[in-house]
Amino acid sequence: MNAAVIFWGTIVFLALAALAAFVLSHKKNVSNKVMSFLLCAIAAGSLSALCSTGFHSYTYVTPAPFLLGVFPVTFRLDGLSRLFSALLSLILFSTGLFSPGYLNHLKGKISFGQYWVSFFLFALSMYGVVLSADAITFIVMWEIMSLSSAALVASDHSHHLVQKSALIYLGATRIASGLLCGGFLWMHSLCGSWTFSDWNFASAQAIFPALLIILGFCIKAGVWPFHIWLPYAHPAAPATVSAIMSGFMIKVPIYGLVRILVQGGLSAPEIVNLAFILGSVSAFWGVLFALVQNDLKRLLAYSSIENIGLILLALAIALKARAANLPVVADIAMTAALFHCLNHGLVKSLLFFSAGAVDCQAHTRDLHKLGGLARRMPWTMASFFIGSFSICSIPPLNGFASKWLIYQSLFQSTMLFGSYIEKGIALATICLLSAVGALAIATFVKVMGVGFLGMSRSHAAEHAQEASTGIKISQGFLVVLCAGLGVFASHAVKFISQLSLMSPDSVAPATVEFPLPMPVLALMLFSTCLVIYLVFLQSSKVRIFKTWDCGFGALSTKTQASSESFAQPLARIFRPFLRYETNSTIKGRDRRHFPEEITVEVKIVSILESRIYLPVLAVISLIAKGLAKLQAGSIHLYLLYVCSTLVILLLLGTVL
Amino acid sequence: MSDANVHLLRSCAHWILFVSCVALVPPLCLGIIRKTKARLQNRVGPPLLQPLFDIFKLCRKGETLSSTMSGAFRISTVVVLATMLVLAWMTPWLSFKPWSPNADLFLIVYLFALARVFSLLGALDSGSAFGAFGASREVTLGLLVEPALLLGLVALGLFSGTSDLRLIFAYHQIQAPGASCIPGIWLLVGVSILLSSLVELSRMPVDDPTTHLELTMVHEAMVLEASGRNLALIEFSHALRMSIFFGLAAQCFVHAAAAVWRMNALTHGLLNIFGICLIAVSVGVLESLSVKLQWRKVPEFVAYVVSMSLLAAFVAAGSGVAKL
Repeated sequence: MNAAVIFWGTIVFLALAALAAFVLSHKKNVSNKVMSFLLCAIAAGSLSALCSTGFHSYTYVTPAPFLLGVFPVTFRLDGLSRLFSALLSLILFSTGLFSPGYLNHLKGKISFGQYWVSFFLFALSMYGVVLSADAITFIVMWEIMSLSSAALVASDHSHHLVQKSALIYLGATRIASGLLCGGFLWMHSLCGSWTFSDWNFASAQAIFPALLIILGFCIKAGVWPFHIWLPYAHPAAPATVSAIMSGFMIKVPIYGLVRILVQGGLSAPEIVNLAFILGSVSAFWGVLFALVQNDLKRLLAYSSIENIGLILLALAIALKARAANLPVVADIAMTAALFHCLNHGLVKSLLFFSAGAVDCQAHTRDLHKLGGLARRMPWTMASFFIGSFSICSIPPLNGFASKWLIYQSLFQSTMLFGSYIEKGIALATICLLSAVGALAIATFVKVMGVGFLGMSRSHAAEHAQEASTGIKISQGFLVVLCAGLGVFASHAVKFISQLSLMSPDSVAPATVEFPLPMPVLALMLFSTCLVIYLVFLQSSKVRIFKTWDCGFGALSTKTQASSESFAQPLARIFRPFLRYETNSTIKGRDRRHFPEEITVEVKIVSILESRIYLPVLAVISLIAKGLAKLQAGSIHLYLLYVCSTLVILLLLGTVL
Repeated sequence: MSDANVHLLRSCAHWILFVSCVALVPPLCLGIIRKTKARLQNRVGPPLLQPLFDIFKLCRKGETLSSTMSGAFRISTVVVLATMLVLAWMTPWLSFKPWSPNADLFLIVYLFALARVFSLLGALDSGSAFGAFGASREVTLGLLVEPALLLGLVALGLFSGTSDLRLIFAYHQIQAPGASCIPGIWLLVGVSILLSSLVELSRMPVDDPTTHLELTMVHEAMVLEASGRNLALIEFSHALRMSIFFGLAAQCFVHAAAAVWRMNALTHGLLNIFGICLIAVSVGVLESLSVKLQWRKVPEFVAYVVSMSLLAAFVAAGSGVAKL
């Protein structure tokens, strides 16, 4: 099948769907089921088309009438864009399954016509970005992606918090696009071409455009210290949108980094070290803040920051190793980065879907009000648990496979790098990664234990019911993918490593091996579990009684550990980073033995937000207020501006 | 006898030996620790295999479950034991072992994490504050100790040039020529694995497993709601985890000794078992003599362990014995 068919097929269908939603929105009866079905069909179609094109790479330039201004639209379908489009299709497909059941609960809150128009435009632009071959197409698609996703974040725009989140997100995308445009223009003036494959970042002058581009991408990806938009945008958006934004959209900048900088031959140590530091800091920072969150989706957003950090770290290792002429390490790290993109995309969508199902049924995402969902929503619980295990990189799931590759690349660089400083840094990073892994375990055990196990902490959670069939199927689909990619990781790793990622035209790409016996391990674990259960527990006599209450009478739900108290010992250790404060007051006459009122307040302030971003914003708004005086509303003043500008320009013209 | 027959016989013998070790060494470890403590307190103490008898006794009792529990509680017990058995099969904690697949050190560390996650979920399932606080502390200890354990194993991997524990602990590695600094690294790593196992297994000086107040404890608080067969499985998997850790530490010490004194496979295996017992005795002595650390002082204690592993890893990375 011709590659052009895929581009146009997918894009035209998505555009038609957006149009249909737009037309129907005027009649106010957009059917979620029909739209979801359309989405599923388009995603499945593009996936099967992708599979049928084989391994060749295609470039496609649009003919004369279909231009963007004076520039043709150019697309390129190769290993890298194939991987990302396949991930996007998978996520869109499961979103299509998930949507009808989920969107019902937003009825009356959001306008479905508007939602579906933005949604299809969003999907279209994401395909466009990962398929585009030149800077003009890329930036146009990128802008559609940013704006349509901002519109989706603002779906439920009657709440003040949602408005604020959408504004913060919009601001972040504007700065990112500005930096990217600057970088692209600079590269065009250096290389004289808009096509990515002509750009060469190996020269010394290319450092500054590379810096602009990497900063622009980091803002959009939510890398520390530009991550602050993520924890606002994700809780505000509907679960479908957060799943796609976290699962795929924040990977688009990673795609851009690989396509533009890595394949452009970037080797400047300053940029690589910057990426290394930003990656490791965001991995740590993200998981540390995830640990102390109480809102389910906000917590997942911080966990995305962690994983983006890991991916960026792996990319930086790949670039470092390539600069040091260690192709073995570079290939492992590159495969690790992209495999982690794939894995995190699937797992994070799964987790956001489960969080959405919980939100639907229990009407809250606050961990203080959840609990006891395990018995009422067993399917949702099982899929959330499996997603959590995967994101904690527990073998034999897919999260472990990519984490192992990152560890392995660091291990190999410790052995192979020449300088002792590089060896030391790699060792320290292994240490950091294991701490990040342990913190991720703490975070997700907290969510699983407090959110799903124990007693229900609110009336709504007590009366939650299992989610609808569509939601269960979409979660099951992603669970199967996660488990399959984990157990058959050796095939997946081999496949990804052969996509010729480091440079687009290498003849014989290296094959990275994944030597761990995951199928054997999975089989052994499963059969041992089965045997132990059948031999020991199945036949044992069981008496159901209450939880041990020390003889003080029935336990109240308040006696359980809360989200904060579970995280407290860890938060204490990291107090300097978290600015973690607890204030407790006990009131009453004989307050030691018979307290009448106990209040405990936990306060966590993000240093970055309170110390850096807020002061900067204050300065900007101060300047803006000064500038606002220029716009006085008087026609005379405006005529004066026009006249004086004209005079100044004329003067400048004569002088120059 | 033909070669094939000899090979078959040998692998059968390995399996029998291995299975009996998995069944007997864990309760023996616990028994030795208890006996040592009893002797130091001038008591006779229970028989060495008392923990095994306890497990049999628990197996005959019925289970009591809380009405708050979901299925997660019983599943977690099963998964923890299954993971420990798989780990016992894969990790080279004994010198003799039947065939096993690639025991990558990162895989081993994350399999321990798998067991930990499930034991934490089991503790949280009943909605009891005891379980939750135990779990909260366990997760903290896990964070502190995981880097130490991982770095210790990485240090061993670095001078062996592989991350496969089977090759790292292979007997033939010892005779590698020009490996002069190896005993030092083996000793350092052995000590750091031993100390981190004290934290990981929540034993003194981090946690006292024999107080009467569960509120202050880690492991015992987590298993408070378990009873009957469930408790038997939990106790056995905990003891198995202990013997895997002690076995790894003992292997390190034996390898350190082997670098200066050549020994054959039989001596190596016997020394290994003897080493595990010796470590159990020393843990018993330590538990009798030391006091429990204040909870806030635990990170300081772990800092020593981490720095020991880090030192070993730096020496291993710097020694340049790496060969690929």
